[in-house]
Amino acid sequence: MPDMNSLAHPQQHQFNPYTENGGTILAIAGEDFTVIAGDTRQSEGYSIQTRYAPKVFRLTDKAVLAVNGFAADGNMFVKKVRQRLEWYRHAHAKDMPLRAIARLIQTMLYARRFFPFYVYNILGGIEEDGSGAVYSFDPVGSYEREACRAAGAAQSLVQPFLDNQIYFKNQTPAQDTSHPVHLPLHSVLALVIDSFTGATERHIEVGDGLEMYVVLARGNPALQSLQDLPGAEEVTGTQAEERVFVIRRDLKKD
Amino acid sequence: MFLTRSEYDRGVNTFSPEGRLFQVEYAIEAIKLGSTAIGIRTPEGVVLAVEKRVQSPLLEASSIEKIMEIDGHLGCAMSGLTADARTMIDHARVTAQNHRFTFDEAIKVESATQAVCDLALRFGESVHDEEAMMSRPFGVALLIAGIDEIGPQLYHTDPSGTFTRYDAKAIGSGSEAAQSELQDKWHKQITLKEAQVLTLRVLKQVMEEKLDQHNVQLAQVTPTGFEILDETKLQEVIEAM
Repeated sequence: MPDMNSLAHPQQHQFNPYTENGGTILAIAGEDFTVIAGDTRQSEGYSIQTRYAPKVFRLTDKAVLAVNGFAADGNMFVKKVRQRLEWYRHAHAKDMPLRAIARLIQTMLYARRFFPFYVYNILGGIEEDGSGAVYSFDPVGSYEREACRAAGAAQSLVQPFLDNQIYFKNQTPAQDTSHPVHLPLHSVLALVIDSFTGATERHIEVGDGLEMYVVLARGNPALQSLQDLPGAEEVTGTQAEERVFVIRRDLKKD
Repeated sequence: MFLTRSEYDRGVNTFSPEGRLFQVEYAIEAIKLGSTAIGIRTPEGVVLAVEKRVQSPLLEASSIEKIMEIDGHLGCAMSGLTADARTMIDHARVTAQNHRFTFDEAIKVESATQAVCDLALRFGESVHDEEAMMSRPFGVALLIAGIDEIGPQLYHTDPSGTFTRYDAKAIGSGSEAAQSELQDKWHKQITLKEAQVLTLRVLKQVMEEKLDQHNVQLAQVTPTGFEILDETKLQEVIEAM
């Protein structure tokens, strides 16, 4: 029996296709390497859906993509990017260069201008000239090459920290000295770990696990130290000159 | 019922019992009637040269266009039914621009050539009752010259949609004589200047008219890009012959 009272008034129903699944990603470019990292917690409101949902993905031997926002859209987007990379490899007999991937991501995001992928992307890797590079995107495809970028739930906590530590904002160099343009790998990894432990303390949607991808340019002297680092796993594809590693760390689970 | 050979001559997409597509073969024959075009690859770049048949003194020689730009790093010389080449070059230009738009990089020479060849076998294609877009094979062969990360390259395409890479290639009516001359004269370390002179020397041998700056066209693709040599530059090469 329908409720006669409610039928008397107009009712509005709405389907919201988007969810925000929390988490944070970040990437920092060095002179001849790039670090791309993300936490592994996936949540909806106050509930944790899973403690291990990767947000960082190796695309090629010189490109790693981090996605943050609506997890379903993020996973689908990575799937589509990978499909385009494979088509490109078949058509042009080579891996897509990093700046070409960046432009492709823009075109793919803007193609959905009026029903966007609810995802913030950060692409990191090695350019054709061997330099480390980070590209950051908004959900509809605006992009920019930068030295570092944080995105996601704790962006507002992490980005100011990076601005200060990477770009040396609000720091004055000592007399007759200058700030370094590029930091070495070990300092960058330390900054990434500090960023995430800090964000885990202060943001409820960040925590559980940390995955840091390191992409090394050809002949990077840091290769040996990464191979010796306990817990660092090499995930390089076949016979590439660039090398890709993942370093996993625990974050607080509360 | 047994079909006579002449019946296989007509259908553009019907194999003969011997496994041949006559219309495609005739299209390849059509190129042998075209004016001669030559391409030479050097370590510095690729040179393209064509003869222009100026049949009348009243004809404006500059209006004959047989070398065209596809993209900043890609050029093309043609022989045969040159009107057909417009469709192919238009397709190549769109493909090259689309590649820049989507990937922020120049398209590879082989990929652009592949795109042109994909079009070559679209004749006789139609969906349901719709009119086919192309009714016959293209009657033109192209020499596609370009530079990409692999270096300077020269490709030859024919109406069957086949493409092949060459160090030096001649197409058109004088192609047989020209090709054997190229085989004699081409060497790995040939310079761009030498290649310019060689193309004109070979053209001169196979042309019926006396070669001058009006009845030949010379172009090159170097790391600076595609360029059709203007009359003064062409004159300099002719004098160097």
